[in-house]
Amino acid sequence: MRAALLSAAAAAVVVAACAKPVKPGDPVRGLTREQRDRFRRGGEVFDTVFTAATGLGPLFNSTSCGECHEDPVAGGFGDEVEVHAAAFHPGAPCDPLVHQGGPVIQQDATPALKTALGVEREPNPPDATALARRTAPVVFGRGLLDAVPDSALLAYADPEDRNGDGVSGRPNHFFDGRIGRFGRKALVPTLGEFNEGAFVLEQGVTTPAIPTEETFGGRPLPAGVDPAPDPEITAEIVALTDTFVRFLGAPTPLRPSAEARQGRDLFGRIGCAACHVPALRTGDSPIAALRRREVGAYSDLLLHDMGPELADICLGDATPSEFRTEPLIGLRLAARFLHDGRATTAEQAIELHGGEAGGARTRFLALTPGERAALVAFLKTL
Amino acid sequence: MRLVATLAVVPALLLQTAGGGGAAQDRGPHAAPYTYEGTIRTVQARPASLELITGVGMALRLVRMSVPAAAHIESGGAAIALRDLRPGDVVRAECHQTGAGLVADRIERKRAAP
Repeated sequence: MRAALLSAAAAAVVVAACAKPVKPGDPVRGLTREQRDRFRRGGEVFDTVFTAATGLGPLFNSTSCGECHEDPVAGGFGDEVEVHAAAFHPGAPCDPLVHQGGPVIQQDATPALKTALGVEREPNPPDATALARRTAPVVFGRGLLDAVPDSALLAYADPEDRNGDGVSGRPNHFFDGRIGRFGRKALVPTLGEFNEGAFVLEQGVTTPAIPTEETFGGRPLPAGVDPAPDPEITAEIVALTDTFVRFLGAPTPLRPSAEARQGRDLFGRIGCAACHVPALRTGDSPIAALRRREVGAYSDLLLHDMGPELADICLGDATPSEFRTEPLIGLRLAARFLHDGRATTAEQAIELHGGEAGGARTRFLALTPGERAALVAFLKTL
Repeated sequence: MRLVATLAVVPALLLQTAGGGGAAQDRGPHAAPYTYEGTIRTVQARPASLELITGVGMALRLVRMSVPAAAHIESGGAAIALRDLRPGDVVRAECHQTGAGLVADRIERKRAAP
């Protein structure tokens, strides 16, 4: 099945080669004029720099969406690294330490908060059993990933590893029981919720759905440090930003060289595609441009055990060593790899794969230098 | 639709965690209920209470509620007791707001802790 998907993904590249390619930062093809206009206006909000007067903080990680998702264009990678925390005790549910300011620990504060509390950032939760570093990924193609039905993801789940391939993906669940797919631990069920939550978490900008600020380590913020009335942005601003992210297309892969075509075959043959599923299909989206489209996700959006070397925090059902298969959309634009950016090359990232991916890593290491180079050349087309 | 349902409960949720719940007027048990779906973080027998984790995206919040003896608690259509609930259970809780905070009227366990 995965071999067929790899062929489908290759066919999609051929088709895309005939159509106008989607460049990084381009919207998905097939939007209406009105949708393109909202995409453009949403992009302006995405790059809007907030100040304390317009809602920034008092705690925040960044002053705009575009500060972290910027390279090479809005929606791309960022060099910022943020800190997440949780408490994991085997046999007990994961505690995201909300009562101590978790799971996202803001790394900056407005001058008013710094003065009031004499701090530079939110403190790490005292009960955290681990801290996690998180880089800013591209958000290209996320609207397409949002439109893939849960049933498509569940079709790849094999929690008991019944097929005996050593790979046993399973979905995470949000706190209300829904299946998650967004975030490095696949906690968040929908793109809309992920985007709206990010306003509050990353910029300290309250929204109509989340009209109160984050706490400072679980304690209320002191009076007088937040001059902007809540909610600090309107539902329309949230919706425009969501539209921009939702309509960002998945960049068309580059035309593969003969070497990259060999690498694509190896990618399937050594088992990378068991988790990095080359193509997912969207469902019945209300947006025609997102409806029943093939997306070169290179992910099953499920959790997989990546081994103790990469383990950090738990989140929802995800144990410290479980991570969502990272979509490889726009991988050619990446300067750092893995959830925490510890790898500086794609080859290094593969070598750091463990757990369920250990078999694929072993087979990668057994390839000839030329074959390894071919596989990396393929990844650089994505 | 699911998003709308989720977002609808959040303003009340944040009011509670921000301390606004303590300042709210007691509108009695006939006031429109606040409904939360979340994962139990803690269950306390005395005073009878629950802490739920819920939120929007990664912006998570705690909802604290007292659970009077009159509250109806069920799982799979059968009545259960507060002591049967466990951290990690996913529940839907219908509450009303009082001057002392949220009070649960009905709690349904949707998914037992893994």
